Amino acid sequence: MATKIINKTVTEFSLRITRCFFVPSKTIQTNATLFQERLETSITNVEEQLPTTIRPPLPIIHSRKLAFPPKFKAPRQVWVSNMDTVEEEKLGLIDLHPEVFAERPRVDIIHENVRWQQLYRHVSYANTKMRYEVRGGGKKPRQQKGSGRSRHGSIRSPIWRGGGIVHGPRSPTPYFYMLGFNTRLNGLRSTLSAKLAQDDLHIVDSLDIPTDDPSYLEKLVEERGWGPAVLFVDDNDIMPLNITAASDSYGHYNLMPVYGLNVYSMLKHHTLVLTLAAVERLEERLLFHLNRNDAASAGQKYRLDSV
Amino acid sequence: MASVAARSFVFRQQMNTRRFDFASCLKIKSFYSSYSANPKEKSPENYTQYHEVSSDNWKFVERLKPPTVVPSFPKNGSCFSDWTPPPDTPPNLPYFVKRTKNFMVPVYLNFEAVRNQRKITMVKHIEGDIWALEKAIKSHLEEVTKRQVVSQVHEVAMYIKFRGDYVLHVKKWLLNAGF
Repeated sequence: MATKIINKTVTEFSLRITRCFFVPSKTIQTNATLFQERLETSITNVEEQLPTTIRPPLPIIHSRKLAFPPKFKAPRQVWVSNMDTVEEEKLGLIDLHPEVFAERPRVDIIHENVRWQQLYRHVSYANTKMRYEVRGGGKKPRQQKGSGRSRHGSIRSPIWRGGGIVHGPRSPTPYFYMLGFNTRLNGLRSTLSAKLAQDDLHIVDSLDIPTDDPSYLEKLVEERGWGPAVLFVDDNDIMPLNITAASDSYGHYNLMPVYGLNVYSMLKHHTLVLTLAAVERLEERLLFHLNRNDAASAGQKYRLDSV
Repeated sequence: MASVAARSFVFRQQMNTRRFDFASCLKIKSFYSSYSANPKEKSPENYTQYHEVSSDNWKFVERLKPPTVVPSFPKNGSCFSDWTPPPDTPPNLPYFVKRTKNFMVPVYLNFEAVRNQRKITMVKHIEGDIWALEKAIKSHLEEVTKRQVVSQVHEVAMYIKFRGDYVLHVKKWLLNAGF
């Protein structure tokens, strides 16, 4: 099983990373060579015993310095787990910033975000023909006067049966719009807070797993009671080889870099698993935008004389 | 007259120097905006020399740049404006009104777009028992203005609106309450 992985090039895998990012083959080979090196020293066949992980005395992760320390709101404390073994091992306890992870969830903002994410790329291809597009109707049906019947100019006018539609759908109709920056920002805060409050948020030290066998991942998720669908989020967009291979055959285990985190994906997956690096990056970015004072110029329309 | 002649002479010189031949035109037309079109970097001898004056002087440049985040205020010392810093301990009340990122009290004056423009006083960043806060502020405003005050409590977005311009009254009340 393991040898097959070495012989295959990684590009042959359909890397099912949500919103598939172009991963240059150069960087994938680096991961593959690293894996090859590690294989010589470790056992990766699932039937054989997995290597016992040797760790320094716990807790490994003691504390975390919060940027923009909260004054009156207590930071939320979360366990940091491992991905080395199927059984959960708690490596330590960290603080999460309450302004990011303990905000009052605004359901209306979450709804706005989901609606925006679904609609902004929607293009309606429905089409109806106008009176000049419907076949025929160029000739005046009958003389203006004398027949005793109503007057008409074309058999395809909208009042006629089979005539053109006046205000019907016109293909293609885009529904693109940009939701305000702060609405999107608060959507992320609300969703993260809701996930944490509902015990659907878990922190792990890293996404390195000992084997690329898909059943390892499945057993791990089942053992820990994580939801049917799990979203793994890391800071880097090139994920470790093992977890990429293991999650490839499952549509409901998805890998995502921090910059791809969005409200819709968080709601679609039952459980959200963040790495420590992802938590750092997420907090740094969100708190920066919450506390910055120069956003007015950044949010304006582009001007030629702007610096 | 002489100055005009001098100017025309200078202009003619400029005109002469501006006449290009076809080959030089081709050379000029290079697109340096793309990485691949740029000539490769040569050894340092091919470029003009430079020497670093002082890296200590960078602080004079840095202090000209505006800060991205409002700097923290000095704990002691009075302000010439009537701004007071937020307290270190929260008041013992069932509600809390958080300061903005610029350490200001979150009371705003809005104008509603109705026929006769309506002034609305809005209090944001409320946490806790919003109804108790609304009751407290409303009773204070009615006492001060001797008028009935109409209010709106938005529980989802956590703000309170009062119909009328009571910004200064509300701000004063909040500062006295210890927010």
